[in-house]
Amino acid sequence: MSKMLSQIWAVVVMNIRSLPQRIWMSLAAVFAISVVVAVLLSFLSMVKGFQHTLEGTGSEEVAIVTRSGSRSELNSSLSRDEVNIVSTAPGIAKDESDNPIYSPELYVVVDGIKRSSQTEVNLPMRGISLAGFALRDRVEITAGRMFIPGNNEIVVGEGVLREFDGFELGKKIKFGKTNWEVVGTFSTGGSAFESELWADARTVQTQFQRGSSFQTIRLRLSNPGDVAGIKKLIDDDPRLILDVETEADYFAEQGAALEGTIGFGWIISIVMSLGALAGALNTMYTSVSTRASEIATLRAIGFSNLSAFIGTLVESIVLSVLGGIVGALVSFAFMDGLSASTLGASFTQIVFTFDLTPELFQSGIALALIIGVVGGFFPAWQAARLPVIVAFRRGN
Amino acid sequence: MSDLYLIFKNLTRKPLRLFLTVFATFIAFLIYGSITAFQVALDSGVELSADDRLVTVNKINFTQPLPISYVNKVKAIEGIEGVVHMNWFGGYYQDPRQQVLTFAVDQDSLLDVYDEILLSEEERTNWEQNRQAVIVGQSIAQIHGWKVGDRIPLNSNIFSQQDGSSTWEFDVVGVYKGAEAQTDTNSVYIHYKYFNETQSFGGDYIGWMGIRTQDPALNEQVIKAIDEMFVNTTFETETVPEKAFNKAFIEQAGNIGLILGSIVAAAFFIILVIVGNSMVLSVRERTNEIGVMKTLGFQSSRIFRMVLGESLLVAFIGGGLGITLSYGVVFLFNNAPIQLPVLVINSEILLRALAYIAGLGLITGIIPAVSALRLNIITALSRG
Repeated sequence: MSKMLSQIWAVVVMNIRSLPQRIWMSLAAVFAISVVVAVLLSFLSMVKGFQHTLEGTGSEEVAIVTRSGSRSELNSSLSRDEVNIVSTAPGIAKDESDNPIYSPELYVVVDGIKRSSQTEVNLPMRGISLAGFALRDRVEITAGRMFIPGNNEIVVGEGVLREFDGFELGKKIKFGKTNWEVVGTFSTGGSAFESELWADARTVQTQFQRGSSFQTIRLRLSNPGDVAGIKKLIDDDPRLILDVETEADYFAEQGAALEGTIGFGWIISIVMSLGALAGALNTMYTSVSTRASEIATLRAIGFSNLSAFIGTLVESIVLSVLGGIVGALVSFAFMDGLSASTLGASFTQIVFTFDLTPELFQSGIALALIIGVVGGFFPAWQAARLPVIVAFRRGN
Repeated sequence: MSDLYLIFKNLTRKPLRLFLTVFATFIAFLIYGSITAFQVALDSGVELSADDRLVTVNKINFTQPLPISYVNKVKAIEGIEGVVHMNWFGGYYQDPRQQVLTFAVDQDSLLDVYDEILLSEEERTNWEQNRQAVIVGQSIAQIHGWKVGDRIPLNSNIFSQQDGSSTWEFDVVGVYKGAEAQTDTNSVYIHYKYFNETQSFGGDYIGWMGIRTQDPALNEQVIKAIDEMFVNTTFETETVPEKAFNKAFIEQAGNIGLILGSIVAAAFFIILVIVGNSMVLSVRERTNEIGVMKTLGFQSSRIFRMVLGESLLVAFIGGGLGITLSYGVVFLFNNAPIQLPVLVINSEILLRALAYIAGLGLITGIIPAVSALRLNIITALSRG
């Protein structure tokens, strides 16, 4: 047994050490695999980053109420009466003076200019109250100050500043007949709220002709995740045609928007892998054929065909894993942390950063490994079955 | 012995290697054909937009409303052929996830401004006269099995009727075709009046206006006239050529062109390396033979051409097969029940494919061809 192992080890080391003789063919395989892995990981890190941003936005302690069937804040609409009824529901946390903690909000869309393309894009402007501000986790004003209720003032999320022009601190913006001023910037720890502009809800109602209507209500739950009390109130009242869910659920649903992209990324990468596999097979068959007399000689002096098989297979795996690591590193260097924005479910831009997580890294290496194993198996088979006579026939 | 025969013999001496390089090329061109067809389809909204068409939206953003009174004011402006106003209905069929692109429009002017929507005379009359009419595009009709005479329920994820229901019923009076293969036929159109009278809030507002000018040369003048008319009102307008509007709309999703372009580039890069390498290798293995051929009197330029011919042949076989199969992919996509723009492999894609095939063949063949050209007989024979 140990003889077998030492044989295998000898052949593996010999193959690896002779790689420089076949440097170009080997590099071609490494390169092809690294490109495939880089493409796959770029796709996956994009989707992962988008999902992380949205999942990090929703809180289990906050419920969001929308008009039934609207599926996004933009489409929803609620009257003042509906807001008042819902605010009496059981299960809403109370403040010190025993008032329910809730925030009726508006969600209107305004134009911004996307830096990378210089085209107009949809940005969400949220009508919010100071109570609503307090409902967000990790929220803080990072420059300037908070808007003063009643004034035409806007505070801008840091994601907006990063990706779009037109909302820099101190800038005046005209919506219809009225001028608004950007008085501050805020951060919410990288969540999707940073892609928004915030202004006083009542001022937005007036300036955007919304009367006394709102679009959504956010409520702090007395038991995290438990919306049963609110749901019961809605179900029992025929005037209320509303949906309630935790904010976490709401944003997780929105994060699924790019799910199709994952499939697309995988399909493309797998099709490309077939091309890279052809390259790997080519490399390994060449490797076997250039070493044919060497392999046969080893066999002639008593090495097992298993050692020939494993030696070739390991060579292929080493090349492919090398390619996988290079591809993952390239993808990490260029993609991880890259800021981008896309259209979210509420028809507005969501700013997110690419996120190449360790699990994705594993997927990339796994794909490389599969290419390496398949690409090495058949040539290794050939090597193992190489007749000993070859050692003498190809006497050069 | 003809050169072609020799090229063929050289190519097929290692059938497995030939198969692998052809296969790699095939994959790259399959990706190229399918992805580019997809990209062209995404861009078709921009490509097909009419030069004499403008879009007027609220200056704040196109999702903000405009008063319906604007329509008649705009119609009076000189240089305008027709105006149709539209509202986004937020439609879906049965399940909120089955979105239907539904527009509530002015039924009398829609087909004049958007003349790529093709209906028969009878369908057109029924569309204009039945206030509960809906006309549906061929593609969406096929997906949901709708036909003329059906009465279909459409829900709105934005609006509700006065009784609180979000379901409206419509009579399918026409299934429209597109003037071009890639014209959008995923949309459906309903009467604005019916929608406006039955919905419970936000009445008498329109979403935007589609405008046809008498001549593209008048566009600038018309744009200026419209936007100046409403300056300093609560509802200021922004009028842009349809092409610019569609382009900005598509770019909201992100730089998809860049992503798709990078995929194709990556695929080409892979085969460039794989095929190039195996060409170098196969010529190097033949050093001896090339020496013999030169000794026999084969001119260097002839050997040069033969090596290039070999790499070109690999590129053409693999590339040709790849492009052929991408027709199959496009066919499958177009017949799948999904709301995607129509994919077409047009002559431009084909021509570019030919250019890439030729380029690939030349690039992968040039290094070994040059080394074969320069090969000195003495070295060649002594190297063996």
